[in-house]
Amino acid sequence: MALLEVKHLTKRWPTGRLALDDVSFEVQEGEILGLLGHNGAGKSTIMGITLGMVRPDAGEVRIGGRSVQKDRSTALRQIGAIYEAAHFYDYLSGWQNLRVLCSLSGWWDEVEVKRVVQMVNLTRAIQQKTATYSHGMRQRLALAQALLPQPRMLLLDEPTDGLDPEGIREFRELILHLRKHHGLTIMLNSHLLGEVEQMCDRCVIIKDGKKVFEGTVPSQEKTRRMFQLETNDMGLAREVMDRTGAKMDKHGIVEVPMSMEPHDLVAALVQGGAQVQSWQPHRRTLEELYMGLSSKS
Amino acid sequence: MMLFFQQWRGELLKLFARRRTYLGFGAFVLLEVLILWLIKVKGLGPVQRAIVGSGESMDYYFSALTVSLIVVSMSVFFLGALYLTLVAGDIVAKEGEDGHLRLLLARPVSRFRVLLLKYLTCFGYAFFLIQFLAWTAFVLGLVLCGWGGGFCVLIMDMDIVSFYEWDEGLKRYAWGMLGLGLSMTTMASIAFFLSCFPIKPAAATIGALSYLLVDFILRNSGFMESYQHLLITRHMAVWTRLLAETIDWPLVVRGYAVVFAANITLFSLGYAVFESRDLKS
Repeated sequence: MALLEVKHLTKRWPTGRLALDDVSFEVQEGEILGLLGHNGAGKSTIMGITLGMVRPDAGEVRIGGRSVQKDRSTALRQIGAIYEAAHFYDYLSGWQNLRVLCSLSGWWDEVEVKRVVQMVNLTRAIQQKTATYSHGMRQRLALAQALLPQPRMLLLDEPTDGLDPEGIREFRELILHLRKHHGLTIMLNSHLLGEVEQMCDRCVIIKDGKKVFEGTVPSQEKTRRMFQLETNDMGLAREVMDRTGAKMDKHGIVEVPMSMEPHDLVAALVQGGAQVQSWQPHRRTLEELYMGLSSKS
Repeated sequence: MMLFFQQWRGELLKLFARRRTYLGFGAFVLLEVLILWLIKVKGLGPVQRAIVGSGESMDYYFSALTVSLIVVSMSVFFLGALYLTLVAGDIVAKEGEDGHLRLLLARPVSRFRVLLLKYLTCFGYAFFLIQFLAWTAFVLGLVLCGWGGGFCVLIMDMDIVSFYEWDEGLKRYAWGMLGLGLSMTTMASIAFFLSCFPIKPAAATIGALSYLLVDFILRNSGFMESYQHLLITRHMAVWTRLLAETIDWPLVVRGYAVVFAANITLFSLGYAVFESRDLKS
């Protein structure tokens, strides 16, 4: 079941620049979806529209069946978000910041807040002013406020931006823990391919305001059988591929159709006269997918 | 309703947790002390002439109340306008600039409510600041002149000259300061309205101050004699009517009706602007 539905979003900025051009996708309950794209591609605009902070020229976003554009307050009750950089009130403590923010949700439960603060590992610093927080601590506080009060879904806008490698790893583990143990649905916006690859089940790639890809993150693909072929005659190999229905790109990456076994394809290559120098399983990376899409467009 | 007050408490916490808020209060006390010192050294000026000219006793009317009114009037003119517009100009624009609004509006709360909370904070702050100013001036006046004496009111541009005994004077002073507090909310409203635009906080403050200054100059220039009803500072000055010997209540009610109508209009226009904005860096 789709928890978040993004339908035909179009947005043009007052400067005339087209930020989004008929973008649609869905986030299924329980999945982690990565929203990928270069800087300025339109990822944050999608987040902004999802949170009702940016008004689309056309289209709408529905959360749990509620339209954000028509019934924002009710729709947003189901989500927690980190939208762009989290700017806390530096003259307030972490605890006071959480109190102010939670009051806007009409909710405050000290026991639950303490539990979440502990989960994001901020218990010792929560009474300190946020001006004294490091970037990593701010991000953890941002996650804490997004988790209060118990959302069904998290929207994270470049959450690991500016974090050091340890911080990124810690944040990633926390997100995966939240999905595994709390069943949270997560939409993650990032331009870091590795981050999306390690955390997400599916991804949507946005380029210049258009959706250019929606599907399973390559590392999560279980059905596609890819191999790296090295041969002395690529032309001959390609002819064999065409005959058998296999696909091969210019780098020799072969996708074997489900109708045949990989060793049958190798046999066909040898019988066709191609000298197979190397034949190894290949796992397509998100980077290859992303760069492939970039070069196509 | 309870929820609304909880949310308002959060907004007030943000305002009063800032050191700048208290620096402002401190600056006011310093200014009041300075004005008081000038009064002690230079005397009461036109008020003194009015007292003597009316054949009243200078010793009797040189009191904490008379002095306080002068101190409050000068403080509001020199610093009050600046400080009120500074805070009200900051309240939306600064939060927008600093990215706080994006944090707030990621919660399930309407823009209307967020803005209303901020406006009520501005409104309450303007009123509270004036009361602080009024009663610290009174306490300082007591330090200088002691308890008792008369209360001389001289407001030249409104043609008000009144003399009161201490008890009646104290009552009038309290009424006048409540009225001044309400009038000053319009000053905060103008800055608040400008603050709703996607502009720098300083621009909202400068815009509001400029508008008020031009309005004030026009009001006192004589060119706008037949258009006085269009000038907001004219209506804001209605508080002075509460210090006149005979209070013209219909005029007072009309003045405050205009003040409140202006406040509601400014809030509504500010909301319309804010509602149509895209909040994105």
